[in-house]
Amino acid sequence: MLYFAELSGKRVVSADGSTIGRLTDFAFLATDQPLVTKLRVDTKVGHILVPVSSVAAIKDVVTLTSGYETVGISENELSVRIHLLDQQIIDIKGNKVVRVNDVVIQDKPYLVIAGVDVGILGIARWLKLEQWLNRQISRFGTSLRSDFLPWENIQPLELSRGKVKLKREEAKLTKLAPEDLADHLERLSVKNIGKILDLLPNEYEADVVQNLHVSRQRAFLRSIKPEHAAAILSKIDPDEAVDILLTLSEHRRALITPHITPEAKNQIDYLLSLATTDIGNLITTDFFTATPNETAQKVRHRIKTETTLDKPLTYVYVINEKKELIGVCNLHELLLTEGDAPIYKFMIQNVVAVYLTTPPEIALKKMVKYKIYSLPVINEKKQILGVVTIDDVVEEYQRIAN
Amino acid sequence: MYYFFYRWKRRLLIALALIGPGIITAVADNDAAGISSFSIAASTFGYQIMIILIPIMVLLAVTQEIGARIAIVAEKGLADLIRERYGVRLAIAMYLLLFLVNLAVVVMDVAGLKAALSLFGLNPTMFLPMIIAGLFAFVVFSNYTIVERFFFVLVLFYITYVASAFLAKPDWGQAVTSLVIPQGGITPRFFYVAIAIVGTTVTAWGQFFINSYVKDKRITLEHLRYNRIEIYLGALITVTLTFFTMVAVAATLFTHNIAIADAADAALAIAPFAGAFATVLFGVGLLFAGVLGCIVVALTTAYAFSEFFGYSGSLDESFRKSRLFYTTLLVQLSIGTIVAMLPGVSLFRITLIANFINGLILPVIFYFLYQFANNEAVMGRYTNTKFQNWMLAGSAVVIVLASLMGLVGQVVGW
Repeated sequence: MLYFAELSGKRVVSADGSTIGRLTDFAFLATDQPLVTKLRVDTKVGHILVPVSSVAAIKDVVTLTSGYETVGISENELSVRIHLLDQQIIDIKGNKVVRVNDVVIQDKPYLVIAGVDVGILGIARWLKLEQWLNRQISRFGTSLRSDFLPWENIQPLELSRGKVKLKREEAKLTKLAPEDLADHLERLSVKNIGKILDLLPNEYEADVVQNLHVSRQRAFLRSIKPEHAAAILSKIDPDEAVDILLTLSEHRRALITPHITPEAKNQIDYLLSLATTDIGNLITTDFFTATPNETAQKVRHRIKTETTLDKPLTYVYVINEKKELIGVCNLHELLLTEGDAPIYKFMIQNVVAVYLTTPPEIALKKMVKYKIYSLPVINEKKQILGVVTIDDVVEEYQRIAN
Repeated sequence: MYYFFYRWKRRLLIALALIGPGIITAVADNDAAGISSFSIAASTFGYQIMIILIPIMVLLAVTQEIGARIAIVAEKGLADLIRERYGVRLAIAMYLLLFLVNLAVVVMDVAGLKAALSLFGLNPTMFLPMIIAGLFAFVVFSNYTIVERFFFVLVLFYITYVASAFLAKPDWGQAVTSLVIPQGGITPRFFYVAIAIVGTTVTAWGQFFINSYVKDKRITLEHLRYNRIEIYLGALITVTLTFFTMVAVAATLFTHNIAIADAADAALAIAPFAGAFATVLFGVGLLFAGVLGCIVVALTTAYAFSEFFGYSGSLDESFRKSRLFYTTLLVQLSIGTIVAMLPGVSLFRITLIANFINGLILPVIFYFLYQFANNEAVMGRYTNTKFQNWMLAGSAVVIVLASLMGLVGQVVGW
């Protein structure tokens, strides 16, 4: 989850590391799926617009791909700074609600505006006082939470008329905690994914699906035609494809597999043939969880007091009130993070996870591919059942090999 | 013939319905703090000080008209536009400055109210909190129209200054000629006092208030012309009232060479020359000026808060709906009252601070007025004329001079 207040003013560098300018604005589509399409970069000699396809990474600096393009603004595109930020939000009856203090941008699986921050932390972020404010408040034993209005509350058509108008009355608004926002949007985007895929270039299709949370991948593949599902599965990594296929019913699987392209089918069939044993007997239930609002400091303290060396701990899993797995954070990150940062701000949101149906081989491939030492095993409700560690999986693998 | 009357009747009704923001804002500029400045100035320089009244009137009329025009054309307040076009950081800085300067003015107005109460032998410790609490409750529970009528009642009480002026038996000929013909040379001290009067009349809160208040009244574009006339009328009325206040003091205290420190002093000091009734009139005027001033200025802060941060804020809304708006009003009134009631608080120092911040923030506000009023995206075809732009720039220069002179005057001890 990215905040415009933190992105605005970031240095933009080219692939070779030389500075191009500073990031000042985003262009986005005024639709139900407000995809971020372009970045505005202010250079020493005016400004340029760079399409998101030319962005390699957004970290401490924004890195562009080599040979990045510059483009013009097109119709139906609005500016975050002009049309959204600082604007007055009115409800459907025209009552003033609050102003847009910050804009929240989701970066996975694609850059999209997730919603707006209407809370005091949104203001504090512009003044670089967010951490300080959190620290002061936590002294009184409580914590400040950001107030988010998810995008689905906003009427996109009204934006181009210069109004941030809501779809309902103020009293009926649902404000979300930041840690649930990504999840909420993903749930929405499963519904709208058809529309998104229409908007995105075709090669992104596989990317989008691959980056969805596992439980959403399943929901999505069940919602579309088998031919379409097969087309997508053909494009994504065979390990992933098999893992997703295994979560579907045999009937559904049989409908999809004939449509997979021959090249992909060979690999997928091979991997499916391996899926004779499941992962259930490798699971350990010794894992460490935290809630999204816990601070790094508090989690570190809990690890110190609540865990012992005989049970290895490599990751902290973040679960929300519904016990759903919403993020993960490794110990190194936890050590490096400032003590007062809540864990939801620095956790990794798209967790690599496996199901009970996942064959150990695929789990191992995923571990190697993502360089992960243990994988969470989740059920259909996204709840964490246990973890499989790399040593257990390797042992099992050797046993089979022998 | 019938048609002729019908047309004029209609026009008159529209004009009456639109009356309010211009007159109220302008007259509120003559709040308790203003009355004190006018009294001190008139007791020191007599009729000579009158020469600055017409320039002040023009300055007030022009700047207020621009603010009101922006509110009517853009349907947005000054604070709305600052936040939307300059971002949250500048919005917060402006709000904090405005909050401080308004708080200082509220303190001065409550202090004026307190002095007036003492003048009538009423114990301020008991009555002051009661009055302020009553005023707050009144504003919360009534709507825009009723609050506006209440403001008009307060404005009517300014007539007491006219009466005091007559009781003082002044030399009317000299008083009126002093308006246009300079009397005597201009000394640094004269300049300093004159500029202090500009600072109490053309204020930061005035610029925000006229704009928010016009917006809250929901005056439409077709009535822009009437609104302009009303604002000019307000400036005229205000300066006329200032004139009478100054006449009352000049004819008595200046003539007999009596120095005073504030308006309550002036009220007491005019008794030997204009009679005890004049003291009562002057005191009543001060009381109502204090009431009008503290409510209008605290309201300005509340309006600005709801505009800067986008919360619901209108006199027509209930406390439940505009909670933060009314809370801001309450906070300003409460702090103002507490500070004014603290023993040993130097009002003189607060006045200096207020004038200084006012001088600091006004040029910035004029800059914003200039930007917005000349922006076709905001104003369409209602952008500023060249004359209005020159007046704005001129005012900014005068105000900057005022705050610099204030500082220098403080150091040199004029």
